[in-house]
Amino acid sequence: MIAAEHVVTPEEIMAYRDGELSAERAEVVAPHVQSCPDCQDMSEVLGDASQVLASWKIAPLASDASFERRLSEMAASSPAAKHPWIGSRLLIFGRRHWFLGGLLGSAAAIALVVGMVSISAQRKQVVTVAVRENRPLAQSLQTAPADEAPPSSEESQPQEMQHSRVRAELDAVTAQRDALLQRFQMDQMASNLANPREATTMPQPSAPMIARTVSLSLVVKDFEASRLTLDAILARHRGYAANLNASTQQNAARSLQASLRIPAADLSASVAELKALGHIENESQNGEEVTQQHADLVARLKNSREAEQRLQAILLQRTGKIGDVLAVEQEIARVRGEIEQMEAEQKSLEHRVDFATVDLNLAEEYKAEMGTPSPSISTRFHNALVVGYRNARDSVVGFLVFFAEYGPFALIWLAFLAALAWFLYRRWIRATSLTF
Amino acid sequence: MNQTPTNPASDEKLMLAFAQGSPEALTELFRRYQQPIHGFFRRRVTDPARAEELVQETFLALLRAANRYEPRALFRTYLYAVALKILRAHRRKTIFRAAFFGRPEAAPDPAKPDATETSFWVRRAIAQLEATDREILLLREFEQLSYAEIADLLRLPINTVRSRLFRARAALRQLLEAPARQHASEKIFPVGASS
Repeated sequence: MIAAEHVVTPEEIMAYRDGELSAERAEVVAPHVQSCPDCQDMSEVLGDASQVLASWKIAPLASDASFERRLSEMAASSPAAKHPWIGSRLLIFGRRHWFLGGLLGSAAAIALVVGMVSISAQRKQVVTVAVRENRPLAQSLQTAPADEAPPSSEESQPQEMQHSRVRAELDAVTAQRDALLQRFQMDQMASNLANPREATTMPQPSAPMIARTVSLSLVVKDFEASRLTLDAILARHRGYAANLNASTQQNAARSLQASLRIPAADLSASVAELKALGHIENESQNGEEVTQQHADLVARLKNSREAEQRLQAILLQRTGKIGDVLAVEQEIARVRGEIEQMEAEQKSLEHRVDFATVDLNLAEEYKAEMGTPSPSISTRFHNALVVGYRNARDSVVGFLVFFAEYGPFALIWLAFLAALAWFLYRRWIRATSLTF
Repeated sequence: MNQTPTNPASDEKLMLAFAQGSPEALTELFRRYQQPIHGFFRRRVTDPARAEELVQETFLALLRAANRYEPRALFRTYLYAVALKILRAHRRKTIFRAAFFGRPEAAPDPAKPDATETSFWVRRAIAQLEATDREILLLREFEQLSYAEIADLLRLPINTVRSRLFRARAALRQLLEAPARQHASEKIFPVGASS
């Protein structure tokens, strides 16, 4: 539009029209525009553009008296009007440090969650007792939580006495049972030593060998009494608990899961007594016949023993090369290993037949205690203060432990994600700041 | 705008007076700048009701930020900077909402006084300008800001503002020529002036 020989640029003509040109340049541009037809045209075109834009009229805003009045009221009650000397720092903190505030709020929320989780985990008192095989059940039933608050009412005293008396009787019965069992085992060992051949071939059952399994789910009213009765039943029938888990939660139904081993002969009587403990929810019985399996095992065991005897005879009577002797010894060792393995299998099988398995699931019929006498107000306040102090301490410790454990890891990722978010946010701000 | 016969106090003095505890000063500033700020938003926001809300938001922001006001520049520049910030926040919200709920229709209402044929073509031409050029043009033509004030508001070098303003005016002229030829309407743009 403007030829190269013009001494002014089109932008300068525009700035001259807008009154934005410096006085020094205006002295140059003004005479040139007056004398140059092209530049005059340019100036007029720019002026026309402004005129056209001026035709874009906006309807005036209707006077909003309510907002004006509200603004006046807010202005009168604003910190600037009331306390001109304060506010700036508060406003700066409130508006500019929102990110810091959000960060602190998030940290506080995380701390609160961690504290609550740690407290709830500590409150959940689950007592689990695992009883090893051949261990008296009475020892494993001492599962009452030690830190549980003792009942303060007088009603609990006769119940305690009754429990202690039953326990004493139970301990006596258990000791008697253990003595009998020990004596029986010693007699059996002596018999085996006296006639080993008979001992190995002793289980020659004429009746079918059946490994029995019973599964029982019961709901009982008195959980403590049922546990004691269960122990008494086991002692009476010379059974034992291979595994026992008792769950004692406060303000919740208690439960017990046990895997019992009961002599097969006493199984029916034991199950009948167990059923009498409470309401039966589920019952199943299973019998696996292992007669053939046992007979095969016995036959293979007999053959292996005979083979071992023959090998030993060969080793004693014959002479030959060292290599042959060593080969015979290796064969004896192999056969001996097989014999021991089969003997273990045989014992396990016979044990499964001799002792039936009873999987017992005992649950308490829980009743929420409405009418229990509550402790005095001072005691409740004292307890609440103690619990509150413990909770506060545990939450602080839990938070510190959590922060020590995950803090560095979280900080690294937080810094990385914050930097990434800040970068994306700035890009987004730049991209959207001037777009319609 | 700065001074009126009945209210000789300058805008800056009024703002300082409000910052020092005079609520009447803010009311006076509101009366002075209500319409210009409304025009600022009305030309940039399609929804008239939303434009009115943004006007109110601007003055509320002014109220909240009174303690931080320092008369380093003209009050008018300060006020438009606040309005521009609020406008940007509004645009971000609009884009964010559009991502989830879709973009609302932005057709002009023919019953409105500003929906004349001329202003329609002007608005359409302005909408086709590049975003920064458009903002510079609007700030110059309607808000009557100087090049330096525009550069300060948009954080651009003053020479960039000048060259972009020229580019925007030239582009606008070209954009308005086509409808002028089609409608042969002299009131839209004088076609012969471009030669």
